[in-house]
Amino acid sequence: MAGRGREEGFPHWLLHTFLVLMVLVTVYPLLWVLTIAFSGGQSLALAGLPAQPSKLDLLRAVTPWPERVSADNFTAVFRDQPFARWLLNSVAISAATTVLGVFLACTAAYAFSRFRFPGRRSGMMSFLVSQMFPGTLMLIPLYIIIVQWLGLGSSRIGLVLVYSTTAIPFCVWMLKGYFDTIPRELEEAAVIEGAGPARIFWTVVLPLAKPAIAITALFSFMTAWNEFILAATFMDKEEMYTAPVGLRFFVGGFSQQWGYFAAGSIVVSIPVVFLFLYLQKYLVSGLTAGSVKG
Amino acid sequence: MRKHQVLALVLAVLSPLEALAADIVVWHAYRGGEKAAFEKVVAAYNAKPGNPNKVTTLAVPYDAFADKITAAVPRGKGPDVFIYAQDRLGGWIEAGNTVEPIDFYLDDAIRGRYVPATFEAMTYRGSVWGLPLNYKCIALITNKKLVKDPPKTTAELEALAKKLTARDAGKFGLAYSYGDYYYHAALQNGFGGRVFDQGKPVMDNPENVKAAQYLQAWIKAGFMPAEPSSALITSLFNEGKAAMVFSGNWFLGEIASGIDYAVSPLPVISEAGGKPMRPWITVEGVYVAAPSKAKDAAFDFVKYVTDVEAAKVMALEGRQSPANAKVYADPKVAADPILSAYKKQVDVAVPMPNLPEMTMVWSPATTALGAIIRGGDPKVALAKAQEKVAADVANLRKGK
Amino acid sequence: MTAPASQDPRLQAVHVARFHAGLAAGLVIALGLSWAWLRGTASAGYEGRARKEAVGALTGLAGEVEQAGGEGDGVRAALQAWQAGQPAGTVGRVVVLSGARLEASTDPKDAGDRAAPRRLAHDEKPVFDRAQRMRGIVIENRDQEEKKPELEVVLEDGRFSMAAPVRKGGEVIGAVEVVRPAAPPPAAPGVPAALLALALPVVVFLPLRRAGRIVAGLAALALFAAGVAGFGAYAQRLVGGAADAIQALSAAGVLGLGVLLFVALGGAARFRSALVRNRVAYAYTLPAMVGMLVLVFFPFFYGILISFTGQTIYNTSAPLTEIWNGLHNYASILGDFSIVHRAEDGSLALSYGNFYWTLIFTVVWTVTNVAIGVSVGLVLALVLNTKGLALRPIYRVLLILPWAMPNYITALIWRGMFHRQFGVVNYARMLFGAEPISWFDQPFTSFLTALATNGWLSFPFMMVVSLGALQSIPADLYEAARVDGASRWQQFTSITLPSLKPALVPAVILSVVWTFNMFNIIYLVTAGEPGGATEILITQAYKYAFQQYRYGYAAAYSTVIFIILLVYGVFQNRVTRATEGI
Repeated sequence: MAGRGREEGFPHWLLHTFLVLMVLVTVYPLLWVLTIAFSGGQSLALAGLPAQPSKLDLLRAVTPWPERVSADNFTAVFRDQPFARWLLNSVAISAATTVLGVFLACTAAYAFSRFRFPGRRSGMMSFLVSQMFPGTLMLIPLYIIIVQWLGLGSSRIGLVLVYSTTAIPFCVWMLKGYFDTIPRELEEAAVIEGAGPARIFWTVVLPLAKPAIAITALFSFMTAWNEFILAATFMDKEEMYTAPVGLRFFVGGFSQQWGYFAAGSIVVSIPVVFLFLYLQKYLVSGLTAGSVKG
Repeated sequence: MRKHQVLALVLAVLSPLEALAADIVVWHAYRGGEKAAFEKVVAAYNAKPGNPNKVTTLAVPYDAFADKITAAVPRGKGPDVFIYAQDRLGGWIEAGNTVEPIDFYLDDAIRGRYVPATFEAMTYRGSVWGLPLNYKCIALITNKKLVKDPPKTTAELEALAKKLTARDAGKFGLAYSYGDYYYHAALQNGFGGRVFDQGKPVMDNPENVKAAQYLQAWIKAGFMPAEPSSALITSLFNEGKAAMVFSGNWFLGEIASGIDYAVSPLPVISEAGGKPMRPWITVEGVYVAAPSKAKDAAFDFVKYVTDVEAAKVMALEGRQSPANAKVYADPKVAADPILSAYKKQVDVAVPMPNLPEMTMVWSPATTALGAIIRGGDPKVALAKAQEKVAADVANLRKGK
Repeated sequence: MTAPASQDPRLQAVHVARFHAGLAAGLVIALGLSWAWLRGTASAGYEGRARKEAVGALTGLAGEVEQAGGEGDGVRAALQAWQAGQPAGTVGRVVVLSGARLEASTDPKDAGDRAAPRRLAHDEKPVFDRAQRMRGIVIENRDQEEKKPELEVVLEDGRFSMAAPVRKGGEVIGAVEVVRPAAPPPAAPGVPAALLALALPVVVFLPLRRAGRIVAGLAALALFAAGVAGFGAYAQRLVGGAADAIQALSAAGVLGLGVLLFVALGGAARFRSALVRNRVAYAYTLPAMVGMLVLVFFPFFYGILISFTGQTIYNTSAPLTEIWNGLHNYASILGDFSIVHRAEDGSLALSYGNFYWTLIFTVVWTVTNVAIGVSVGLVLALVLNTKGLALRPIYRVLLILPWAMPNYITALIWRGMFHRQFGVVNYARMLFGAEPISWFDQPFTSFLTALATNGWLSFPFMMVVSLGALQSIPADLYEAARVDGASRWQQFTSITLPSLKPALVPAVILSVVWTFNMFNIIYLVTAGEPGGATEILITQAYKYAFQQYRYGYAAAYSTVIFIILLVYGVFQNRVTRATEGI
């Protein structure tokens, strides 16, 4: 191994400064959400200024900190409606979407990557093309298909089907690209050793594609997690509502209660953060081990 | 009485009830206090002696309500009864198989028990499509500390507002969303203006222009804030920096606890010869769904929920303004200053048009108002709006 | 020694068998369609004549009732007189709206204590509603230029159920309702003829199976033509020369010919063998494709169908053939070149509602957003990929937070930040001594607000994708390059970028597509302000559908959006494929 020398050339303190700046810009609007949530009030926090504001007044106005700190909004979110139940529904639906979406995408992407068959190119294109249809006008046709023809209204399966179909195209493309970078020699070696196609897939291909699986899992989860209008339209029973539907109760129509909505949004974001924390290690597992080309 | 006569009598009494017994589903978009009051009304209905029907409710978020009705009801998957404002009524009627006309069930007694303007809001092309439950309209809300006697005419209003304004200190005499066409309609209708004349748009008629010029005069006088978003109005009023506000009862829930306020009817327009300001009424109606299999039972509930007993609960506990006129004779309701103030206002207000074409009016109207606020020529701005709305309406009606 | 392929007798026999099968299949399709058309046209013609007669009876009654004054005994007499001239089983009723009265009736059930005049019974609400509908149509016709016919005719259970309004003194006071039996149309015509036209050519071909390929092929075509033409002539004679007969029958014939050629020339056989050969691949991809077909393509094909009609909220129940207007919607969208117009003060102003302006704006919006998202995401991923950098997991989590929080509230927070008087962006400007701006008053600044919001929302996703893609590059590639003396920039352009392509290109393409159709952000942040200047194509389509209720036009708009994206997708794919060398 040759001498290390200077690794990347950029000193770390420079990178840290850049990252801290980016984090501040990224997190700033979210701090306002936190402010509203912990303020105990319901307004969207437009701070007033005296007539001739001094620099200090301006600085204070730009800093996201509530006048009065209270956790009332959080307790109210859980107390006045079955929000915990709705969260569980969301978790169930999103988890099922992730599993179904990733599974179907993996098998399809594997076929697109490894096999040559008529319709391969057009199949890939059609996944791409399906994303180009403007979805905002599709509510009624989807309702007719899912609720009327398939009878899946007020059931979690109906939503899982629609969400998976929305998430699969990106997952297929992402996974196929990843599978393409995995050299076939590894699979051929496994075949020589007598492994069947399923075993090859599970033990050779999948471990090397962990970052792609992590990305597609996160993406599928997010597709399902924050979706509002389909969940609100398909579900006819209050106990089947999902978290985004429950959230919207706070801000529709004439009365807007941003405090509750902000508190609910924070609660709704926590599972996503946990999921990302869990998936992080797969995201950066790296292929350095055992993937030497040639 | 002979036995078979008794039997006949019993059967005669029971059979209409048997025909009625049903399970009804009701969809609404209420939450919080309104929802609690509504569920109390439903419980009272379910417990009423002699009532064989059972009502279950489902709360749907407001943002998804209209789309849900449009998707579910015509396909038979919706509720038996639903509650919504009248602005989508025309569209649903034209779409078909959504709302059931209820003229057949009505008699003069039922028709007569509502505030006339609210009943008109439920009428479309000669038929009645629902019973009005409550109304919302804007009125004058004043900070009691700053305003001892609410002004009765616009001349008084202007004088008072000018006195209470200190722009540099961020204090304003009057603050309301004058850039929102819904709020501006109060002035416009007061001058005799309107949006539709027998189904044809007339955005640029002379009364509308006069109202717009009047608004410009108010803006020039300087007693209103710039860029009046509803969040701004709320924060100004809560900080005691706005003495008077035009808004509806939805505003009252956002007023901070330290502010002592009073509600009174909007002032009459001195410039227009003392004619009152006529804000638009948004009427929440209770409708029977067209594909419902229990229409009689559904209407029975509709009748109950818009009747005096239920109206009292919705008024006192749900903080709604009931459309049932008779409930205002009740001592508790009559003693409530807010309910009485809005009742006085609604007696001179006009219902917002429920035509489907109304949805095409908002965007051009807001653009026109924006130009007017920035000092543009009202005639030109309104003419442009009229051109756009008329073109859109023509394109829609052409249909081919 | 096998004979050359073209002479091999077994191969010949297979080909001729395919011709036979093709002939049969083609005839089934062509004759099936032709017969279906025949049945539809015959019964429609029959129904049309019966309807005309029934409506005549209806309007006759309405006229007589109006002459008799609309209510009272005169009406009852008029009704009895009219009833005398009607076929048995006809029922007429006269309904008066005020008081929901049944003024007169010839229904045998309305006798004794149910005799007219009386109030309508509880279960007769549909009768009353119908009379109300008649009044509604009359009122509506007063406001419209295009008048709807003032009657209602429904055919159900072999009877015409009709209604027409009754006027008195210029106002509609009630309606007449008539139920009149309609003789059922003759049952399926032409079945024996169709079966004959199918069986005869197939049987005639049998002896020709021994013939050579060319003879058999020509014979198959000739027999097909004979069968189709024969039945076509018969069908046309049966419907008495209806105008679209030639069109419909030729269309059926062409389709059948297509099927014939497909089967005869081995297409079907090849299809089946390809299916069998690749069954594993198809099995793997089928579930995903089926889901997409049903839930995405199928609704969209319906949308494309609607785009050729003038469907609005007023005619949703009309059959599509009645409101068909071909390419009219497309012509009015694409043919509108008035991008600029003269404003009041004589200067040139942009017409924001114009399609081409919105297209240009949407393209600019997409390009800038994707550029920002991709570059910021990639740079952050590269920085976070630095070996040995401390606190990386914390940075990563903080930087994906914009993606984690529901964008409804964050978009509105951003909108609030740009408020002229109370937004923190203007406060920050004042802090640095600059003047506050009215962000939503100018198109450019309004665009910047949406750009900032969407850039903030979209970079985490690109960052995650880039992070994952960077993992697929083996570290020893960099080692080897460094040993060879390559600079960091050279390493980046020759190792990193090319290796990132397979993962990044699909993400970029999809990001372009998603941003092009990004409805939420524009709707929530700028709401199109000022005056529709910051609308993108998808928000316009939404407005046409849900504010203007013009469903056909909105569907055409969406189809145009789709075609634009399709062209981009195909083009982009070609380009990247070319450089990849696959």
